[in-house]
Amino acid sequence: MIFTPQTGLKKSRMDWALLLAVLVLLAVGTIAVFSSVVVLPQQARIIRVQLMAIPLGLLAFSIAWSLNYQIYQDQWKYVYGILLAMLVGVLIFGVVDKGARSWYRLPFFSIQPSEFARVGLILVLANFLDKRIGKIRELQTVLGAFALCLPVFFLLIKQPDFSAILITFPVALIMLFASGASVFHLSIILGYAFISALFPILWSIINLNPELLDSSLVSYFYHLSDSWLSALTFVAAVAACGWGLWRLSVKLYANVTGVYFAGAVLVITLGFFSGMLVKNQMKDYQQKRLEVFLSPETDPRGAGYNLLQARIAIGSGGILGRGVFSGTQSRLGFVPERHTDFILAVVGEELGFWGMLLVTGLYVLMMGRIMQGARLARDRFGYLVNCGIFGMFLVYFCINFGMLLGFAPVAGVPLPLLSYGGSNLVATLAAIGIAESVYARRYALV
Amino acid sequence: MIDRQIPQERLQLLWVLAYGAALLFLIRLVNLQVLDSARYLEIAEKNRTQIIAQAAPRGRIFSSDEVALATSKPSFSLIYFPGQSRTNAEIERMARALARPLGADYEDLRAAISRAAAREKPVRLAENLPPKIMLALSELKAVYPGIDIIVEARRFYPFGAYLTHMMGYIGRMDAKEWAARSKDKNYSMDSRLGKTGLEKMYEKELRGKDGGIYLEVDSRGKVNKVLESRKWVPGADIFLTIDSKAQAAAEEGLKKSISGKGAVVALDPRTGAVLAFASAPDYDPNMFVLSGSEKEGLPAGKTLPEFNVALQGTYPPGSIFKIITAAAILESGRVKPEEKVFCPGYYDAGSRVFKCWEKKGHGLMNFVEGLTNSCDVYFYVSGQRAGALNIEKYARAFRLGQTSGIALPDEKQGNVFGPSARAAKKSYWFIGDTLNLSIGQGETLMTPMQAAGEITAVANGGIFHRPYYVDRIVKSDGQLLYKGGQQTLGRVELKPETWALMREGLRSVVSEGTGQIAKIKGAEIYGKTGTAQNPQGKDHAWFVAYATVNNEPSKVAVAVLVEHGMHGASAAAPIAKAVIEAVLREDLKIKNAPAVPASTAVPAAVQAPQLPLPSAVPARRAI
Repeated sequence: MIFTPQTGLKKSRMDWALLLAVLVLLAVGTIAVFSSVVVLPQQARIIRVQLMAIPLGLLAFSIAWSLNYQIYQDQWKYVYGILLAMLVGVLIFGVVDKGARSWYRLPFFSIQPSEFARVGLILVLANFLDKRIGKIRELQTVLGAFALCLPVFFLLIKQPDFSAILITFPVALIMLFASGASVFHLSIILGYAFISALFPILWSIINLNPELLDSSLVSYFYHLSDSWLSALTFVAAVAACGWGLWRLSVKLYANVTGVYFAGAVLVITLGFFSGMLVKNQMKDYQQKRLEVFLSPETDPRGAGYNLLQARIAIGSGGILGRGVFSGTQSRLGFVPERHTDFILAVVGEELGFWGMLLVTGLYVLMMGRIMQGARLARDRFGYLVNCGIFGMFLVYFCINFGMLLGFAPVAGVPLPLLSYGGSNLVATLAAIGIAESVYARRYALV
Repeated sequence: MIDRQIPQERLQLLWVLAYGAALLFLIRLVNLQVLDSARYLEIAEKNRTQIIAQAAPRGRIFSSDEVALATSKPSFSLIYFPGQSRTNAEIERMARALARPLGADYEDLRAAISRAAAREKPVRLAENLPPKIMLALSELKAVYPGIDIIVEARRFYPFGAYLTHMMGYIGRMDAKEWAARSKDKNYSMDSRLGKTGLEKMYEKELRGKDGGIYLEVDSRGKVNKVLESRKWVPGADIFLTIDSKAQAAAEEGLKKSISGKGAVVALDPRTGAVLAFASAPDYDPNMFVLSGSEKEGLPAGKTLPEFNVALQGTYPPGSIFKIITAAAILESGRVKPEEKVFCPGYYDAGSRVFKCWEKKGHGLMNFVEGLTNSCDVYFYVSGQRAGALNIEKYARAFRLGQTSGIALPDEKQGNVFGPSARAAKKSYWFIGDTLNLSIGQGETLMTPMQAAGEITAVANGGIFHRPYYVDRIVKSDGQLLYKGGQQTLGRVELKPETWALMREGLRSVVSEGTGQIAKIKGAEIYGKTGTAQNPQGKDHAWFVAYATVNNEPSKVAVAVLVEHGMHGASAAAPIAKAVIEAVLREDLKIKNAPAVPASTAVPAAVQAPQLPLPSAVPARRAI
C-alpha cells in the first residue's frame, strides 16, 4: 500500500496517521520519562522541561506545517548561515556540561544548537542536491555535498559532539543515495568512513589485549598514531603497495585502470589520517564506550554494566510488563541514562513486549508516512527534504534500538519523541512539521 | 506528479532497510522478553533486594534432668553490605577506620570489603562484638552507610569443657563442606555447622531455618524499604540420656586424678542408656564458635585433645578381665567353686615363675575368695584348667573385639587374645600365654566402653544393649521428632549359679576385698578393680562396678579408666563411687549431690533468646 503512489484523490492537508503516530509516541515517551525520573534528584527540573518542551514543540510543528517548505530552498543561505552561526556561537557563549560545550544557557532552560543544526543541514543538503540533480552522477556533486557538511562536522568535533556526527553523516549518505548519486562514489565515501572508524577500533582492540603488543608488527601498528613521522611511513608503505599491485595487474594483463589503485591508496590514506584524528580527539569516556562495545565484560561496573542493566530491565518486563511506574530496574536507578538514551529500557520493563511492539510499530508507521510524503511531494526539493527526515529517524531508530539490543556500540544517542531532551523534542517536532508541510503541499496548485 | 529523475527502487531499498531493522529488533525482543524473561526477572529481583541473613538459634541440647548443655545467646555482628561506599578509596577509608576499634588487620578488612562489593553480597566483618566497642562502631555507622550492626543467635556451651567428646563443636564450613551444601538454601557461606560429635551427627535436626531481612535497595545500595522480614525457626532440641550430675562427677573425678587422663562410661543396665560419658583431657567447644577455623580457636602451640579415650583408647584390661575368666572357669565345669587353690605369692609354670600381685601370697582360696582378693595364682591355676580356648570363647561372648555400637564415630574394637586368635596369626600358643590371658594381661585390649558393657552384662544377666544417648528430639513447635530406646545386640548365656557366684564375688570385692573404697551406704556395690601393667609407663587403673538398691534391678553400671593411675582401687574406684552416688542420689537421698562444674548453672529449659529485629535496618528513606 505504501509503495503504490496515490493519485491525489485525497485532499487532506494533514497526514493524520503520521500525526497520530507521533502523538502516541510522545505520550508513551512522556509517561516513561516521568516514571524513570521520580527518584532522580533533578526530577522537578526534568518534568518542568518536558512539560515546557511539549507545547513549544507542538508550536514549532504548527509553524513548520503552516509555512511553505519551499521557503527554505529560497532562503537556504540564511538557513545555512544561522546554522553555522549557532554552532560557532555555542563554542564562544555556550556552557560546558558533561565535557562538551554544547549548550546555550537561557533563564529557564538550555538550548542545544546541534539538535537544530541537523534539521537545518537536511534542508541545505536537499537544496544543494536539487540544484545539482543534472550532475548527480559526478563525483564532485558528492564531494560538494560533503563540503557543505564539513564545516558543521568540524564545529561539532570542537564541542565535541560525536553523537550528532554519528547521526548526520549517515543522513547525508541516505539523501545522496535517494537523489540518485553513483553507488560507486557513495561506496568510496563509505569506505573512507569505514577506514576512519576501523583504525580507532583496531587500536582499541590492542588496548584491550596488551599481550598482542608482544608481536613487533602489532606493536609497530599500534604506535603508528604516535607521531606524524611514523604515520607518513605508513602512508608511503600503502602507496608502495598500491603501486606494486598496479604493476602486478599490468604484468598479468588484468585490464584495470590505475585510477582504481590510486583511489584505493587515497581512500586508505585519508581514512587513516581521519582515524588518527578521531583517536586523538576521542575523550576517555568515548574510548571506553568503544572498548565496551568490543568486549562488554571488561568493565562490569562501567558502560558494560549499564548496558547489562538495561538489558535486564527489558528482559524482566516479559510480555505484559511490570506495570507503569513499577519497574524496579529503572526506578531504583539500575538503568543509567534511563530518561534519555535508555528510555526504551523503561518502556520495555514497564510495558513489556507489547509496549515495545507498539513503539516499534509506531516508529515504522511514522517512517512509512514520511516516505509516503516524499513520494507525493510536488517537487524534488520536497522529496529530498522528506527523504532526509526519513533518514534521520531511520538512523536514530537503528542506533538506539541497536545499542540497547547489542547490535551497535553504546553511542549516547537518544530516541526522538520518547527520550527526554527539550531541544531534541522541539527540533524533532519541527522536522515532522516540515514533513507534514511537504505532504500538505503535495499538489502543484494549492 | 512531476518527473524528478529519481530512481524509485532506491526508495524501496531504503524502506526495506527500515522494515528489516524493525523485524530484526522484534526478533531480538521476543528472545529477551518472551523466552528469557524469567531469567532476567530473577536477576532484576536479585538486583533490588539485599538479604541480611540472621542465623537461627541451633537446637538446644539438654541432659536427662533438663539442664541445658548447649544453648544459644544473642550476639552482635558487624556487617557490610555493598552500597554507596564501593569505590576503592572509600573502601580503604572504611577499612582503616574500622581496623582500630575491631583490632583487626587493615589488609584483611579491606580485602573482605572489596570482595563483598565485587560479589554484591553482604559480609560479616566481625562477630560477637564486645559491648565496649559497640559505641565506637555505631558512630562509624553514621559515617559509612554500608556498615551495620545486627543481632544474631550464637551457639553457647554454658559449662565450657563438659561432655566435650560427645557434644562436639560447631565451626565454619571448610571448602569441601561448602561445596556439598552450596545448593542448600539454608546454608550461606559463613554459616556454622557441626564439626564433630552430636553437633555433626544431628546437624540436620539441630539446624534451624535462618531468618532474614529483605531490603529493597536502589542502585547505590541505599535502602528504600523493608520488603519482608522473615523470622527464623530454631532447630530441634535434643534431650540426652546423660545425667548432668553424674557427668559432672565423672569429669571432676578425672580432672582430679593423678594423670588427668582417662575415661568414664556409665550405662543404665536396664536399657543401655548412657548416663555419663567422659573423656579426659578435653577442651572448651566455645572457643570454636567465634573463630574462623579449628586452628584459630586454639591457644598457640596446642593441639586439640580430640582423642576420645572412652571409645578410641584401648588398654590391657588387667584384673577386670577376671570377670570373664571367672565365667569361663565356672561354665567349663572343670573347676568347682569351693575347690581351694594355695597361693604362695607366685606360680611356677616350669619355664618361668609367674607372680601374684600380693608378694606374701593369699594362702588357700576358693572361687569367691580368689575373685575378692583378685588373686592371680587362683586364676593361673583355674584358668589353666578351664582352658585358654574357653576363656577366649567367653571373651568373645562378652563382646570383646567388637564395637559397642554406640552412635559415635571412630570407635575402636580392641583386641581379643587367645589360642585361636594366635592361630589366625600363624603363631604358637604357650602355657605362659594362658596364664597372662587369665589375668587380663598379654595382648587383650579393651576400650572403657567395652569395660562398661562387660560390667553392664553382669548387672542385667548377660544382656548387651546398644548404648544410646539421645532420649528424644523435639522440634521447636513441640512435635516429637525422634524417640530413642533400647536395642538388644546380644546376650551371654551363663548358668544362674555362675551369675550368683560371680555377683557374690564382685560384691565382696567392694565389701571386704580390693575395692572397699567404693562402698556406698544404702546401696549394694558390685565391682572389680584392675591394674593393668603397662610396659610404656605407669600402670593403668581400672574400676568397673554396678549398684543395686533394695534388690531392685540395677540402675547404673560404670567403668572407669585412669591412665597411669597406678592402682585401680585408689585411682579409679573413687570416681566410680561418685558417679554411682550421683546417679542414685534420689534413691539414696543424698542431699548435696555433686554440683555441675560451672558456677553459671542455667535454669532448666532456658528460653532461646527472643532477639529483636536488628536495629541495623537503616531508617526508611523518604522517596
